[in-house]
Amino acid sequence: MSDQPDVSRRNFLYVIAGGLGGVAAAGAAVPFIGSMMPAADTLAASKTEFDISTVEVGQLVVIAWQGKPVFVVNRTKGMLDRVTGHNDSLKDPNSKAIEAVEAEWMQSEDQRVYRAIKPQYLVLIASCTHLGCIPLFKPSAGRKEWGDSVPSDWVGGWHCPCHGSFYDLSGRVINGSPAPHNLHVMPYKYLSDTTILIG
Amino acid sequence: MIDKIMSSGLFRWIDDRSNIGSIIREHVTEYPAPRNLNYMWNFGSLAVLVLVLQILTGIFLAMYYKPSAALTYGGYTVAFDSVERIMRDVNFGWLIRYMHAVGASMFFVVVYMHIGRGLYYGSYKDPRELLWIIGVVILLLLQGTAFFGYLLPWGQMSFWGATVITNLFGAIPIAGDFVNQLLRGGFAVDDPTLNRFFSLHYLFPLLVAAIVGGHVHALHVVHSNNPEGIDIDHKKETIAFHPYYTIKDGFGVAVFLLFYCYFVFFEPTAWGYFIEVDNFVPANNLQTPAHIAPVWYLTPWYSILRSFPDKLTGVIAMGASLAILLVLPFLDRSKVRSARYRPMFRQMVIMFFISVVVLGYCGHSAPTETLTLVGRIATAVYFGFFLLLPFVNKFEKHKPLPEGI
Repeated sequence: MSDQPDVSRRNFLYVIAGGLGGVAAAGAAVPFIGSMMPAADTLAASKTEFDISTVEVGQLVVIAWQGKPVFVVNRTKGMLDRVTGHNDSLKDPNSKAIEAVEAEWMQSEDQRVYRAIKPQYLVLIASCTHLGCIPLFKPSAGRKEWGDSVPSDWVGGWHCPCHGSFYDLSGRVINGSPAPHNLHVMPYKYLSDTTILIG
Repeated sequence: MIDKIMSSGLFRWIDDRSNIGSIIREHVTEYPAPRNLNYMWNFGSLAVLVLVLQILTGIFLAMYYKPSAALTYGGYTVAFDSVERIMRDVNFGWLIRYMHAVGASMFFVVVYMHIGRGLYYGSYKDPRELLWIIGVVILLLLQGTAFFGYLLPWGQMSFWGATVITNLFGAIPIAGDFVNQLLRGGFAVDDPTLNRFFSLHYLFPLLVAAIVGGHVHALHVVHSNNPEGIDIDHKKETIAFHPYYTIKDGFGVAVFLLFYCYFVFFEPTAWGYFIEVDNFVPANNLQTPAHIAPVWYLTPWYSILRSFPDKLTGVIAMGASLAILLVLPFLDRSKVRSARYRPMFRQMVIMFFISVVVLGYCGHSAPTETLTLVGRIATAVYFGFFLLLPFVNKFEKHKPLPEGI
């Protein structure tokens, strides 16, 4: 019987050879999959500088960061007053539900409520957390042209035209909205009194 | 292993509905191959491997490549900059581009060896004439693909190479200007040329892939030739393709990959042979490089073109040098296939191989008087091979053929 092939040994070699071939194929796939990731110059464009002194009091501007729209609002004193006092109607008043609504610069309770380093200047990602539309800025109640689109006790904020989500003047989602989370924030810092670096 | 997979429930479910099992058995695992094939028979499967590599790397390059001759702020062009971006910014872009550029040259190394083997062992003869003709069509498509692809980086050699070659078609009487403009989409090589070359560079490999299917099908109808060039007993003198030739081809693949990877990682430009030095300079339609030559795999035919002082004659000779391959099976009247048993043919075919190499060298070098003369002699040898073929068997006494392999 010694001239019979050793089948278990042969099968073991098949598995080893096939396995190593699989490892080699997986290794060869790395550069191909890797090449589809963002290129170095795309990543280099991931930081945006912006001069916030160009935003007038009460004005909202939309700028692009990493190809995404970003809201920059210069909030009036009246707007800042209307940020507080309606915690009961918010899903996540202190922005703690998920990582994307928090940021490292949120050190104090105030910064969690106003969602800004300097309370006056609000910088948010302008995508509704429901399905990504850009919400409309409706900063005060009582504008007739908004019709019934905002409730009668509207404190001001954003209304998403796609599926009717509401956010307050800090971009926090209001109960009853289809959107699950507050508008996302991103890392940014002040390079000088008036210039911010987003990203 | 394969038996295990082919007896699995899933495979049987698919097999019952597609008959895939008998196709695999007939064309791969149990395909009867002559038992005496030597390593020259490895290049067919290697060519398929390189085709797959070229299509794969090309698809990934096309995700980043932009076929536009529009100027950028840097003063270059969108196409040139997008290639440089692939080299510098895209993850692994350098690797994928060099795999593609080196792969193009490797494709011709492999295909020329494959064709040379077919010539030497008489694989083009009855009953394999159509198999050979399909192969020549694949060669022509490959040369077209390579030519279209070389324009895409929009470097100096891309631009002037395309200018020279499209001008060749201008030599055609009457229709010349029309064909010229049809190729260029304008009066000079420019943005429209780049766009259509990119489109054709994507189309041709798909045609090649389809025709390779026909090539393999034709092979499996008439079966493989063998080094002895004699008809064999399909029961006694063949062995199953799997595992014998899958293992042998696999070994060839490993050796080939060593060779390929050496160039990809250490000499991607191959000292100016795979990617010419001038092609690192952005295309400039107002300045011609000092010396224009095609990439090495097209130089033999370029050399034939240059051997004739008259433009039209040169163009016709170049076309004829390739077209004559199509009728080769009908020029050779000898019934004996392999050069092993044809002493005169053997010397002729070796002279032919040498003439192609010499032509390649001449075509790559700047023309001097000596080289022009050498090129003309090599051109004469090239055509002489085909012109002598119909008569050689009248004088040739072939050696006795073996009974079997």
